[in-house]
Amino acid sequence: MKSNSAKARTGEWKARWADFKYTLYLLRRNPLVLAGSFMALFFIILSLLANYIIDPNLAIPTGYPESGGGYPFHRSYMWSKGHFINWGPDVRLHEGPEFFYLGTDGWGRDLLKMIILAIPVDMENAIIITLIASIFGTLLGTLAGYAGGVVDEAILRVTDIFFAFPALVLALVFAAMFGRSIPTLRLAIILVWWPPYVRLMRGQILSEKEKSYVEALKALGAAYPKTFIRIQERFDVVFDKIVPLRAGRLRFLLIFQRVINGILDQLALLGMHLRILFRHILLNSIYPVLVQATLDFGGVILTFSALMFLGFSPSPSLPELGNLASDGYSHVFDAPWLMVFSGLTMLIIALAFNLVGDGLRDVLDPKLRR
Amino acid sequence: MKLYQYVIRRLILMIFVLFGVSLIVFYLARGFPTGIDPVAPYIHARMTAEQIAEVRRIHGFDQPLYIQYFYWVRDALKGDFGTTGVWANSRLAIDVFLSSFPYTVQLSVAAIILTVAIGIPLGIISAIKNNRLPDHISRIIALTGYSTPSYWFGFMLQLVFFYYFLIWGLPHLPSSGASGMEGAVPLVTGMPILDGLFAGNLEYTLDAIAHLILPAFSLAFISLGFLARIVRASMLEVLRQDYITLARSKGLKERVVIYRHAMKNALIPAVTLTGIFFAMLLGGAMITEYVFNWPGVGRLSLLAVFQGDSNFILVYTLALALIVVIANLAVDIVYVFLDPRIKY
Repeated sequence: MKSNSAKARTGEWKARWADFKYTLYLLRRNPLVLAGSFMALFFIILSLLANYIIDPNLAIPTGYPESGGGYPFHRSYMWSKGHFINWGPDVRLHEGPEFFYLGTDGWGRDLLKMIILAIPVDMENAIIITLIASIFGTLLGTLAGYAGGVVDEAILRVTDIFFAFPALVLALVFAAMFGRSIPTLRLAIILVWWPPYVRLMRGQILSEKEKSYVEALKALGAAYPKTFIRIQERFDVVFDKIVPLRAGRLRFLLIFQRVINGILDQLALLGMHLRILFRHILLNSIYPVLVQATLDFGGVILTFSALMFLGFSPSPSLPELGNLASDGYSHVFDAPWLMVFSGLTMLIIALAFNLVGDGLRDVLDPKLRR
Repeated sequence: MKLYQYVIRRLILMIFVLFGVSLIVFYLARGFPTGIDPVAPYIHARMTAEQIAEVRRIHGFDQPLYIQYFYWVRDALKGDFGTTGVWANSRLAIDVFLSSFPYTVQLSVAAIILTVAIGIPLGIISAIKNNRLPDHISRIIALTGYSTPSYWFGFMLQLVFFYYFLIWGLPHLPSSGASGMEGAVPLVTGMPILDGLFAGNLEYTLDAIAHLILPAFSLAFISLGFLARIVRASMLEVLRQDYITLARSKGLKERVVIYRHAMKNALIPAVTLTGIFFAMLLGGAMITEYVFNWPGVGRLSLLAVFQGDSNFILVYTLALALIVVIANLAVDIVYVFLDPRIKY
């Protein structure tokens, strides 16, 4: 026989599962979300496999730009029959044994291969930045919303400072001061990316913690953690063994029993709050954060590559989408494909994740959900 | 709380924000260990060590950081924000900012007009034709807008409307700068279009408008997506409310229901977003200004960051923070008049 609480728990998960299936059904109805998910999945798989498909050593430049090594800035061929796009009058034409679908960059490297090598770099950074920023922001927002009072006010004032800037401006200042390397760039973007999550989560928690189920949980003494009860019992047993002391000289030891029980009580209370918070409130209010994180994924990729484009790249030959575009910056008119294709890849990646995030928002928003 | 009490409270909080901003930026620009040496923008390669030390002493960079900050705050309260480095001809930082700010204002106004003019109809169409073809199309436009790398889009516009139109012999748009005829009219407002109009120089004005089209569109395309999505969401919400059903059941035409009844309430969130966008644009769209070589504050701030010019960075970030905070406050005040349910 299952206990009542266990039954309730399976019931709860059943409901969650049914809800999840309904969400999937709603998502499937939207062709754009479907297309976005497939694109996102494609890029995830591609970024996992990229280093196996393309030899990463190809990214190491063999000569100086426009001089040695390969065929710098050659127009692309699409098929052997003709040129894919007529890029312009003074664009050099490559007539050699090699075949570049998207042309070459300034180091004479095949642009298509470089883009494939660049995708995992951008994806990895975007995932790390979004994860850390959203988790940090969510935790702070939860704290602010649940604790209220001075803590809330203090956290809000700090986020206010960050909200006074467009993310890019502050990220740029941070990046300029931290120096040029990928970890510092990540840090710079994380530092400007967490505040929206604080506001989002705080609002969620504020509305959620007033709901009657939270009141009920508190009234029921929701799961006064069993471990604490056990520890308290253990201590009580120990102290009971020295009960004879009660009348004796070592009577003062009983103060410790009270102190320990008091501390444990406080800890248990904290445990109860944390449990209500993480097990119930957070689980019920996490959806907007998920949506926001999905939508931010694209934004993070764009910001990261924008910083790279502006010249915070640790090395000019690093295959990264913004860096490739930056390579094409001084050659927009004589080698436009560098700019065109690296930017287009970025756009498609960001669009894929934005389509998914936008669909999720529609489906998970209780006001719009039917 | 009365409205004016609320405003006063917000203004007091604003001082905290500005103080915090200046503290953080000051530390980053002057004291951060891995940052650029604050004296770097004021020196050149042929200076001797003694000369560099002298420059450092003149600008007070040899003092401890808290003393520098104290002096900076004291001077800033008097309106003296220090001088910029050689890259901006060692002019006063505040002058450099103020002389390029009108260009940014012109660009932002144009961009925000385009954003609103395209974004709001897009959102409304999207909501009315929910989950049908027009909705999907407008969703794709909106999402493409905010998935687009801004520098890339700027270059694509330049490539097509300047370079290829030039090659093909079509009438092409200028690719960079704010005006091709600098010095032809006296500076009054600093905004080329207005100056041209004041001087009665139509050619100058048209030239300035031609320079404005590409950067303004580039900015608008990126921000209109957000606006369209917000308008759609709030419109969908409003359309489900009882008073809309009532209006329909009265036998009102759908057009009247949407434009007279639904739109008024649905556009309230759009006001916030537009206000904030405008504030952010006034802070200078760094990348777009950089790509189009627009002589506004965004491009200058980018140069300043690369030069490590702490004085200009401080002026710029403080001005930006001030604009954003005031815009937020203005939006909140406008809200009260738009939505009588809101009380502070």
